Amino acid sequence: MIDFFQMVVSGIAVGSSYALMGLAMVIIYKTSEVVNFAQGEMALLSSFFAFMIMEHHHIPFYAAIPATLVFSLFLGFFLEFAVLRRAKDPSVLGMIIITIGLEMILMGFVSWKFGADYKALPFPISPYESVAMGGVYASALEVLTFGVALSLMLILFLFFRFSKLGVAMKATQQNPVAARLMGIRTNRIVMMTWGVSSVTGCFAGLSISAALMHPYMMWDPMLKGFAAAVMGGMTSLPGAVFAAYLLGIIENLFGGYISIEFKSVVAFVIIVLVLCFKPSGLFARHYVKKV
Amino acid sequence: MNRRFFVFISLLSMIFCFSLNAMAEEGMTDTEIHVGQWGPQTGPAAAWGSVPRGTDDYFKMINAQGGIHGRKIIHHMFDDAYNPAKTKAGVKELQEGTGIFAWVSGVGTAPGLAVKDYIMDRKVPWIGPASGSLHWITPPEKYLFTVYPLYYLEAKALCKYSIETLGKKRIAIAYQNDDYGKNGLKGAREELARHGLKLVAEIPVELKDTDMKPHVMKMRKSKADAVLLWTSVSHAVRLAGTSAAMRFKPQFMTTSTCSDFPFMYHISKGLWKGVIAATFAEVPGSEKPLFKQYKKEVFEKYANKGERWGLFYYAGIFLAEPFVEALKRAGRDLTRERLVKELEGLKDFQGISGKVSYKPFDPKDPTCRLGVKEIFLVQCLDGGKTKKLTDWMEIK
Repeated sequence: MIDFFQMVVSGIAVGSSYALMGLAMVIIYKTSEVVNFAQGEMALLSSFFAFMIMEHHHIPFYAAIPATLVFSLFLGFFLEFAVLRRAKDPSVLGMIIITIGLEMILMGFVSWKFGADYKALPFPISPYESVAMGGVYASALEVLTFGVALSLMLILFLFFRFSKLGVAMKATQQNPVAARLMGIRTNRIVMMTWGVSSVTGCFAGLSISAALMHPYMMWDPMLKGFAAAVMGGMTSLPGAVFAAYLLGIIENLFGGYISIEFKSVVAFVIIVLVLCFKPSGLFARHYVKKV
Repeated sequence: MNRRFFVFISLLSMIFCFSLNAMAEEGMTDTEIHVGQWGPQTGPAAAWGSVPRGTDDYFKMINAQGGIHGRKIIHHMFDDAYNPAKTKAGVKELQEGTGIFAWVSGVGTAPGLAVKDYIMDRKVPWIGPASGSLHWITPPEKYLFTVYPLYYLEAKALCKYSIETLGKKRIAIAYQNDDYGKNGLKGAREELARHGLKLVAEIPVELKDTDMKPHVMKMRKSKADAVLLWTSVSHAVRLAGTSAAMRFKPQFMTTSTCSDFPFMYHISKGLWKGVIAATFAEVPGSEKPLFKQYKKEVFEKYANKGERWGLFYYAGIFLAEPFVEALKRAGRDLTRERLVKELEGLKDFQGISGKVSYKPFDPKDPTCRLGVKEIFLVQCLDGGKTKKLTDWMEIK
């Protein structure tokens, strides 16, 4: 029984980074219906920025983290303003292709600038020290990431539900023309969402970097985050988070009881099943456009 | 008449030129020897990218000393990102475009396997694949000479040491689910069987796995007191880290690919302390004269800024040493066949790895192409320092 609880706790622990990536993807999708495949590499660049200022410029951790968050905010702004906004006659498909291109450019840049060797981010909380709960272990970093993921979800949920800017973001997604007629500067709103999304992803990047950093580290969490976002319905923040934790738990139980070799692919089997039986996701309310 | 004579002379000279070209060995001129090599400079295995850079700097030193019998080594290395498809494309392009006299080193089992048949079919010598796979010698190939000790033998040595010296009885293995990992698995199974034991857990690790908790739970459940890590550098660190977080503390033992202790200690944030590894070359602070000479004349003169005098950098040197020695012995009348003959004549050749010996080609004897049969065991200490646990030993 202890093993079962350990697997569930481990699933929740790994689900936190999926949840943060899923949240980041949902934020952009909610506003522009674009699936941002550069999300992982945006977090990657921000994490390497943190590494650079801490390791090379000896900025202390507590100053480096806010600086990194500001960097990631402006990175999001920049990519939207300098690249996506410049797309001529943008279609959703075209924008997705642009994000795939951005993903490759950002990864190439990180490999070129920082090299492909493994690195370790100087992090005050060791990923290898654990908290014991009656024979079940979770590392202190995992507990912190779990707390950050849930807090961010709550903040973002409240932000979209109650703040003026959040409502403007939702309006921009649902009807950009009407939103513009109501006086919303939709371009600026989209830019804001890229910034907020970049910061959210940055938290995932930093938590992953605490153990081991390399230019390919964000690809798997991004794919799993995307899987969670699809499961959750792409527009639902709590949905993405819940699905991410569910995914982490299923992966761990599958690895523990059925097959460790196919543990990593189980996420994608789940996506196929969800898309077959509930294409709008587990949590999204079906959105019908009236003709 | 004059016209006919002119045509005849032209034809004759063309035939003469072509026949001269056919007589010359591919990839070689009076002043140059073209040598090819691949290795990941990007991608998940980039930590091993220092191997071809080490070889490149070693050849620079040789060229600066005047080359070998008046010929300079022209080294063509390319980044295959540890992707066998890229390896195949790059090897084909260089072999058929530039013309390569011989291939040296080449990182990785999977990339090497992708081009082995192609290189062997063209009868091009390939010396020192940077991988210890059994595939290179089973069956042996006339033109393929290994230098890197077999992973299979490393696993046997580690198991033998853990049973006979450390008194461990419950040994588990976490292995990369490919040829590299399975070579370690095979060695461990055989050595334990020799002692009347069995592995208490065999845990496959997929290259794409990032969460190691299910793997560590299986290790813990097996109550293993020693665990062999036969995985990539990143998975080995994650496995050790996750074990520490789950308060599972067996004696970790690992392959030479994870035996660059200063690097492993740094990226594991000190967790590598106490890990025992098999290794194949002098430790970084060795006082051996040849080793110190390479550090001074290769690394300090030619290494790029940011390069580290680490195990994989100088692995690039020792993997090429037998090739260079055979070139020296072949003299000015160099051909591929002559090179093969000289390599076969190497007996107890000592560079900075174990002694290298080959035998005349015998398709029934895999050891005729197994250059190094010696390894030794080391343990990681505080700060990534290395403690030698054994002398060079030959494992059978």
